[in-house]
Amino acid sequence: MSGVLLSSNRAKLAIPPLTSGRAYTVKGEQVGDPKKEIIRRVLYPSNIKNRPTPIGTWRPDIGRAIQRAIPSVQAHQTIERAWLLHKRHLRKKRDAETARKFECMQEAMDELYKLDPKLYLEANRSEDPRARSKAEMELMKTLKTSEMRTLAARIRGLFPRELRIPTDTPARTGWNYEWKPFPRPI
Amino acid sequence: MLSRTALKSPNARAVSLRRAFATEPATSTSKAVSELPPQSRLKKRRTVIATSVILNRSPILTRTPTLFEQAFYAYQARIRRALHNPFPYDFYFKQGSLLETRFNMEERKRERQAFGPNFVSEDVVDPEKAAADKAAVEQLALQEGEGEELMPRKHAADLSDDFKSLDRRGKRNLYLLLQVEEDGNSVWRFPEGGIEQDDFLHQAAQKDLHAECGSHMDTWMVGRSPIGVYKRSPKSTAEAEQIVFFFKGQIMAGQAQTYGELVKDFAWLTKEEIEKHVEKDYWDGVKDILSDH
Repeated sequence: MSGVLLSSNRAKLAIPPLTSGRAYTVKGEQVGDPKKEIIRRVLYPSNIKNRPTPIGTWRPDIGRAIQRAIPSVQAHQTIERAWLLHKRHLRKKRDAETARKFECMQEAMDELYKLDPKLYLEANRSEDPRARSKAEMELMKTLKTSEMRTLAARIRGLFPRELRIPTDTPARTGWNYEWKPFPRPI
Repeated sequence: MLSRTALKSPNARAVSLRRAFATEPATSTSKAVSELPPQSRLKKRRTVIATSVILNRSPILTRTPTLFEQAFYAYQARIRRALHNPFPYDFYFKQGSLLETRFNMEERKRERQAFGPNFVSEDVVDPEKAAADKAAVEQLALQEGEGEELMPRKHAADLSDDFKSLDRRGKRNLYLLLQVEEDGNSVWRFPEGGIEQDDFLHQAAQKDLHAECGSHMDTWMVGRSPIGVYKRSPKSTAEAEQIVFFFKGQIMAGQAQTYGELVKDFAWLTKEEIEKHVEKDYWDGVKDILSDH
């Protein structure tokens, strides 16, 4: 693939082709340190096209391997369509659930607007992450440095860093039931 | 608010307090009335606002792929293996080293698994040498200390059906449900309470949560807006209609603690389990807010 491109470029510029060994060594003689030759061979595959190279081309038994991997063209297309259909089912289910949740939110906000405009206004307000409430400012005067860092770590309007991503296996320690309460001003 | 005052004065009667301290909407000033849509002026029944928190423990574990998904991923892996560049093994492994032997053994195993047992051509290898290689690789594994064992995906709480545990059902979303004493019956519902005069709704929701379930939980309220509403019809025409606004919260650490005579029990339940515990009317109002998985 890329080896073919490289060789054609070099041919155009009329530069002799790259060889894996040094020009002045006799063929078959051990050079001593094969590391450089290996690296050269890995980075710049040989331009002899009918011999399989360690990199930049197919594996030598690719014909047999493909025959084993793919049963037939029709089978492959059927599998592809089945997968796309499966993804579509999942997507539709997820979208329907999201739409239901959004409708609940909309209904709640409509009710709130009908009930109390002031509360509605406050619920609709977008939070400024840099803002600090009066209660927080008062609390910060009384805290130690480490506690102040814990308080400042949770930013208004952004998700907290303690939210964990699902993993394949649970934590060795399990759920932290002995969490020491840190009072944050509401 | 119900539970906060109940804590201060334990003698006070529980049920009437909640109604008494809940706030009515601000319709008193004329300016507010003119801003409101016209229907509310004609409303005959009083409405009382309450806030509730749907506290969610999000999934700890990834979902198990279905059989079809597993088969498809294996199929795609086989195709990738057939098509990809040959691995530059002589760059990564020194000729004749033990690591190279181990890599070759593992690679042959992977090829056999992908393409079938008769795909890989058997090298003409001295059986004694093969046995010696195998023993050497096993020794290497012992020396390296293969790695700690992973925890099982099913927790002990799953087997014992411990509904208070937060390790149960790691793949699902769990929600906090409380069993409360209401007019003589015990009813399962989400943590709830009224609002005080100066509070915004999301602040009132958080205070209600602390009052009913304790503050030994590391929680985070998702935004300031309610995610759902439920209108609780009054038992008699004289009483006010109660409108409950739900807010979403996430729990990251800790456990709920219930005190007071009103809240008898709590449980962390999945969506189907909530349906079994909760009243039909309440369920119809709440089911679209909860996550299916």
